[in-house]
Amino acid sequence: MTGATTPPPVDDRAEAAPETRIVVANQWQLIWWKFRKHRLAMFAGLVTLLLYAVALFAEFIAPYSAGTYSATHTFLPPQNIQLFQQTETGWRFYPHVYGHKVQVDPESFKRTYVVDEEIAYPVGLFVRGEEYELWGLFTLDLHLIGAAQYGDPVHLIGTDRLGRDVLSRTIYGTRVSMSVGLVGVGLSLGLGVILGGISGYYGGLIDNLIQRAIEILRSLPTIPLWMGLSAAIPLTWPPVRVYFAITVLLSLIGWTALAREVRGRFLSLKTEDFVIAARLDGVRELQIILRHMVPSMTSHIIASVTLAIPGMILAETALSFLGIGLRPPVVSWGVLLQEAQNVRSIATAPWLLFPGLAVVVSVLAMNFLGDGLRDAADPYQT
Amino acid sequence: MQPTHTRLNAAAATDDVLLEVKEVKTHFFTDEGVVKAVEGVNLSLKRGQTLCVVGESGCGKSVTARSILRIVPPPGEIVSGEILFRQRDGRTVDLAQLNPKGREIREIRGGEISMIFQEPMSALSPVHTIGSQIMEAILLHLTVTKQEARKRAVSMLDLVGIPRPSETLDAYSFELSGGMRQRAMIAIALACEPQLLIADEPTTALDVTTQANILDLIADLQQESGMSVLFITHDLGVVAEIADEVVVMYLGRDVESGAVDAIFHDPKHPYTRALLQSIPRYDSRDNKRLYSIKGTVPHPFDRPTGCPFHPRCDDFIAGQCNLIDPQRALISRDHSARCLLYPTAAIHNPDEEPAT
Amino acid sequence: MIWYIARRIIYLIPTLLIISVIAFAVIQLPPGDFLASLISKAEETVDQAQVDALRERYGLDEPIYVQYWKWISGIITRGDFGDSFEWNRPVSDLIWERLGLTMVISLFTLAFVWIVSIPIGIYSAVKKYTIGDYLVTIIGFIGLAIPNFLLALVLMYIAFRYFGQSVGGLFSPEYIEADWSLERVLDLLSHLWLPVIILGTAGTAALIRVMRANLLDELSKLYVDAARARGLSELKLLFKYPVRVALNPLVSAMAWIFPALVSGSAITSIVLNLQTTGPLLYRSLQAQDMYLAGSLILLVSVLTIIGTLVSDILLAWIDPRIQLQ
Repeated sequence: MTGATTPPPVDDRAEAAPETRIVVANQWQLIWWKFRKHRLAMFAGLVTLLLYAVALFAEFIAPYSAGTYSATHTFLPPQNIQLFQQTETGWRFYPHVYGHKVQVDPESFKRTYVVDEEIAYPVGLFVRGEEYELWGLFTLDLHLIGAAQYGDPVHLIGTDRLGRDVLSRTIYGTRVSMSVGLVGVGLSLGLGVILGGISGYYGGLIDNLIQRAIEILRSLPTIPLWMGLSAAIPLTWPPVRVYFAITVLLSLIGWTALAREVRGRFLSLKTEDFVIAARLDGVRELQIILRHMVPSMTSHIIASVTLAIPGMILAETALSFLGIGLRPPVVSWGVLLQEAQNVRSIATAPWLLFPGLAVVVSVLAMNFLGDGLRDAADPYQT
Repeated sequence: MQPTHTRLNAAAATDDVLLEVKEVKTHFFTDEGVVKAVEGVNLSLKRGQTLCVVGESGCGKSVTARSILRIVPPPGEIVSGEILFRQRDGRTVDLAQLNPKGREIREIRGGEISMIFQEPMSALSPVHTIGSQIMEAILLHLTVTKQEARKRAVSMLDLVGIPRPSETLDAYSFELSGGMRQRAMIAIALACEPQLLIADEPTTALDVTTQANILDLIADLQQESGMSVLFITHDLGVVAEIADEVVVMYLGRDVESGAVDAIFHDPKHPYTRALLQSIPRYDSRDNKRLYSIKGTVPHPFDRPTGCPFHPRCDDFIAGQCNLIDPQRALISRDHSARCLLYPTAAIHNPDEEPAT
Repeated sequence: MIWYIARRIIYLIPTLLIISVIAFAVIQLPPGDFLASLISKAEETVDQAQVDALRERYGLDEPIYVQYWKWISGIITRGDFGDSFEWNRPVSDLIWERLGLTMVISLFTLAFVWIVSIPIGIYSAVKKYTIGDYLVTIIGFIGLAIPNFLLALVLMYIAFRYFGQSVGGLFSPEYIEADWSLERVLDLLSHLWLPVIILGTAGTAALIRVMRANLLDELSKLYVDAARARGLSELKLLFKYPVRVALNPLVSAMAWIFPALVSGSAITSIVLNLQTTGPLLYRSLQAQDMYLAGSLILLVSVLTIIGTLVSDILLAWIDPRIQLQ
């Protein structure tokens, strides 16, 4: 059987063989090793990073600013990029989009666009376009993608009823939508960790009260409540204040899941040997919580936070879609989808649903990522 | 109700052998690699006798037991070997060849071979009554009406010493104590009067007094019914108490097997000797450190070459043990050990004949 | 069991109290006295006596807790939810049918979610890591990621673009205002499938995942092996033991699926133009018709709580361990 394999050199080492190499990996290394094996989660993590990068560099990535409009190009359909152009000598690499001619129906006076292959607007990467201020620090006019000649009407995903570029607006919307998720979850996390921690650590009457409160909040239909509360935000408030009011509303109801997670972790950690040992050694309570308990539940909390962000994004989108969340001129995916509120406008311009695709991609990515993180959070469990 | 197809095997040993396991290998095909949980195990169990399988955790005892009933969880599979079982009608069937989901093995499970498990809490369904689980076994294997099955279930609970059996029939497992649960498990296992009871560490999770009660119960029931018991344990004290025959396992194979006296009084394999030395004794006067086997059981992916025990063996012979895989050496008629210390050819050596 | 139910009902009281306070807060939230806005909206001059009568009825000049007491005691003792200023009718006239339809949609969706997710979840767990399992998992994730209203819009667009149909609504035009009759019920059922699918997608996706995870846990439990060792066939074994145990968390999942359905139906109903509470709430909020809005929030929440209670009782009934706690 095993005798067929080449025999190892016979010496004393053979005896000690199984115990030679000892590698010490810390908790985060173990988590990373396990996470790395999860291909889908790795990919989703990359997509999430990309989305936040888009949010950070929206001005640079978008071909136009969020407010740029063109009265002559309303409801322009998406233009496909043509990579090659035919010349007398053959094909040459020349990325461009075709122009459009407007046709007016003699009976209904309805305007329709017809692709005009005679006109070609060159498209390029790192082109010069509108000036913008990045983070209010640098004035630049470089855009990742756009018309190679400033002023050409290049709208890869089409335009809306005011002739605004849907792609650019969706890119700007990333900033608000993705950050609402982060800020909202940040607030929920604060509430959840404090209340869940108190609940799980002290137990008894306090625990009971907090648990009741969580149960009550969880059994409420959130959207009608959100609708009722956000309708009370005065129309006169500046956009930034509305933005914070909405995130506070979202997190007021959204903290319960995180609080449950924290409480559960606290309860199970409280009886772990290393916590009891620390207590018997006379370590102060606060020290026990901060030095011993919090580090061992951080990975789980990160996973639940990642899983909570999509819920926030969806809620913001839904409220803004109804017109009772964020309001123009703020640009978020939900606000953009307001343009597509009824079948008639979707039938004229189905590309207005493009921000919806962004919602689905981001929510999907963060769900997969959170799932992978949750699996990896317990590196010893298989 | 007879199996439609039975593999007759002329090699099946003498009449009184109920079960014979020959060179069975059960491997787990995991993503990380193949775990050879059982790597050539042999045992044979006579009618009415008790065979104890002993060894450290992870030596493949449980997998061996599960292999016999063909309930090895995926990704585990029996890759080779024979499991010859003598059925009630006198025919011998090779369990290793049966379809694990087929009817033949299902009729043997619970009907001819029953099994009880280490943790009676998790081996009983949390949402079904004890009665529904006993009656299920009875209705599966015996042609009786529901009323008769219920009656039989009550008498089984009575038989295993459960007080107020007809009330317990409608109780849930979480309403019983650990010892009562294990009794209920035994009642389920014995409801159809199997020829063989496989007990996979049935007393490990119980406290010492309950342990003794359960062992007595099994012994009594065995006396009454004449069934055979395959008892899996790591507790040598239990072995001394109940075994007729013993098989010592290490890393998925039998390293020594023989009658209980031979194993305890004349152990041959260095591993068996080491195991016996590591039992604490009341009568030891000197304050010597308790002997412990050096090293640990190697990781399953790191199976040593040659004799699997050689890295931990006190009698290690360099150039031999780490190269040559020892075959079974017969020490006496029914005492064998897999160790290079004993020549394979030595079939009958009257000097070594243990006093049985 | 009776004690258990009684205890659960007693637990409800603080919950209901808190909900009523929240609903009352929503009524009070818009700045200013709503009578003032009523007067400013009215086209003719309002009879001062009428204004005074309203002021007296809602206790507007009295402290806030008196107002709350007047409002809640009116609801409990007389079923008086106040008047809708936009419709100029008592709130209770407007809400009951819509509330009923909301419940019908939610219950049908719940049934749909269960009927679809249980078999798929079982399949996915039993055939773990096969192509079918991966497919189910991926579709499930996508189902979770698409907001209801977006799905509604896309389906409506598809129906409009490719089938030339305008879907939406719960009734054909001729039945919208009709009295209840068998034909009207049938008409309702024939319109129900679209909102049910739209609302049910996310819940189905979630429950498939719950079912799959639970069943995977249960499949590796010792009692499954023990039952197998008794000679039970694989299929009977699967349904009698692990599936049965894995259903318990699914029943308790109803406690959050149901609020989510009611909640989700608000937006979907607005998009699909269904005659449920959602659009009415939406319109009342926009019109600052606060008694209507507050009453709707109160009633929808109460119904959700009752749904949660039912799921708790159901869980206690199927899982004997619960009642002991």
